[in-house]
Amino acid sequence: MIVQLTKTFLRIFFRDRRAIIFSLFFPLVFMAIFSFTGNLGPQTVSIGIADNANNIFSTSFKQALTANDVFELSEASEAELRAQVTQGDLQLALVIPAGFSDNGTPAELPVIVDAAQVRQLALIMPVLEQALVNAERTLRGNEPLFSLKVEDVQARAQDYLSFVVPGLLAMSLMSISIAGSGFNIVEYRRKGILKRLFVTPIQPKHFIGGLVLSRTIICILQLSVVLLIGVLVMGINIEGSALSLLVFILLGTTVFLSIGFCLGSIARTQETIQAIGNLVTLPQMLLSGIFYPIESLPAVVQPVAEVLPLSFVATAFREVIVNGAGLMDLLPQLLGLTLWGVVTLVLAIRLFVWKEVAA
Amino acid sequence: MNIVEVSNLRKRYPKPDNKGEFFEAVAGISLTIAQGEIFGLLGPNGAGKTTTLEMIEGLTDPDDGSVIVAGIDVQKEPYKVKQLIGVQLQANDYLDKLSLTELLELFTALYGRTTPPADLLGKVNLNDKAQARPNKLSGGQKQRFSIACALVNDPKVLFLDEPTTGLDPQAKRSLWELVRSLNKAGMTIVLTTHNMEEAEFLCDRLAIMDQGKVIAQGTPAQLIQQYAPDVPPVPRHGNLEDVFLHLTGSALRE
Repeated sequence: MIVQLTKTFLRIFFRDRRAIIFSLFFPLVFMAIFSFTGNLGPQTVSIGIADNANNIFSTSFKQALTANDVFELSEASEAELRAQVTQGDLQLALVIPAGFSDNGTPAELPVIVDAAQVRQLALIMPVLEQALVNAERTLRGNEPLFSLKVEDVQARAQDYLSFVVPGLLAMSLMSISIAGSGFNIVEYRRKGILKRLFVTPIQPKHFIGGLVLSRTIICILQLSVVLLIGVLVMGINIEGSALSLLVFILLGTTVFLSIGFCLGSIARTQETIQAIGNLVTLPQMLLSGIFYPIESLPAVVQPVAEVLPLSFVATAFREVIVNGAGLMDLLPQLLGLTLWGVVTLVLAIRLFVWKEVAA
Repeated sequence: MNIVEVSNLRKRYPKPDNKGEFFEAVAGISLTIAQGEIFGLLGPNGAGKTTTLEMIEGLTDPDDGSVIVAGIDVQKEPYKVKQLIGVQLQANDYLDKLSLTELLELFTALYGRTTPPADLLGKVNLNDKAQARPNKLSGGQKQRFSIACALVNDPKVLFLDEPTTGLDPQAKRSLWELVRSLNKAGMTIVLTTHNMEEAEFLCDRLAIMDQGKVIAQGTPAQLIQQYAPDVPPVPRHGNLEDVFLHLTGSALRE
């Protein structure tokens, strides 16, 4: 029964050309927009420096930074720099304290960043540290014992596009899945199609099984197309294995399809499902680290944001695609999604109603 | 032998205009349907025919009472009963973008069977529409297709909910012939209608419903015998000449 239903739902989907185009249109347009805004020329980081030391060490440090193409250096007082960072004119400000490294004791170097720019920090910090080490060596006349190849950070193109594409994939997975179950259910119930199906001896678990299976296959195909275009056209690298991605696609679709089923059972009309669908998806789009990292959210919201199903999917996609993480590295996400999957699936089967409630 | 036994069936629904109050759509119905007969459930709109039918079919849970179909309790084993019955609903929407053949394949598979769709379409005379989509069919064709869908599991009892409503006389006649031929082949048929001509033409026995209750039951002949109004006195006929002759006699006068 499940196999036949799966085949039927797939057949219906592939005959609906409009739905296919529409489902691909949204993530591709987003990706195109971000690739324009995110990849204009080489990415430089504007750094402001307030040099309160003004000694040989600080000068050498500044020279090291200037020499690196990544940075665009400017100098100003600490107060001015803070204002510029807040306004977004500067991405980062460094304050070199007076008497910096005069006596050879380790000193702290305050870094001022805007919370919204946190995503850059992971990229910049190693470069800064390297510049600092270089400056110190030059000053003391030591030959470097070893040198870090900072270049690697850049080679992996850790730019905004790589950050946002996995998030967009996760987001389309969510919308395709919720629409695929929730919206269809409401429509099928309203037209009496569900009732016609349940005249036969099928049970809710067969119906839900068939729909989950077919939608998962559809989802895998759609995400593959989006990802393939990302790789071929926009030059995104996939560091991790396709298998790990597949595991998270499977878990993700199960969770979101089940959520869709629950919503479809609560809602009676297309209008209500639209409304409660937005209620579920919009907060996740904002909170789940799709467009900016979860760490840049207010501290109070972060614990909640971290356990949202979309966060697990987005983080997992990003770690696999960008950092080449394997399943073992992503155990929290694996566990989190499995838990969500079990809870939402049970709830979906419990709540599922194929009968029309009489007027 | 009775294939369907309904006793004291009840169903309440919230009132559409006042959700706090309820009305009884079905208010304690008892029926028996014998194997091999065509049984008609008659009544005006809103009498509770469809609700009764859906409780017998296991599509609606009754608030009270019991339904036994072919010896099986519908409330206890609805899926077992659904294996044995064929159901045609009033609404005729199907999954989008599928042909008649594909829909029949799906329904057949849902019963775990493998009846060839062409056989089913042949029974309802729709072979030439095998690759068409249901929304391209005429009203009569749609009804015949929905009967084909109800026949995929070779049911013991076939339920038809207002099968001829909205059909033209030709389509109606051809559907009646179909129902009769299915019945001749041994299938018990239960149908609802508010068309008296249909009831009289098709049904071996009838129950008449009104306001959630069965108000009369029997064969069409019995019901007519029992409930038809008395024959009014035959009106006198004749012309003035008859009157004149009656008054004055018909003997010749000098």
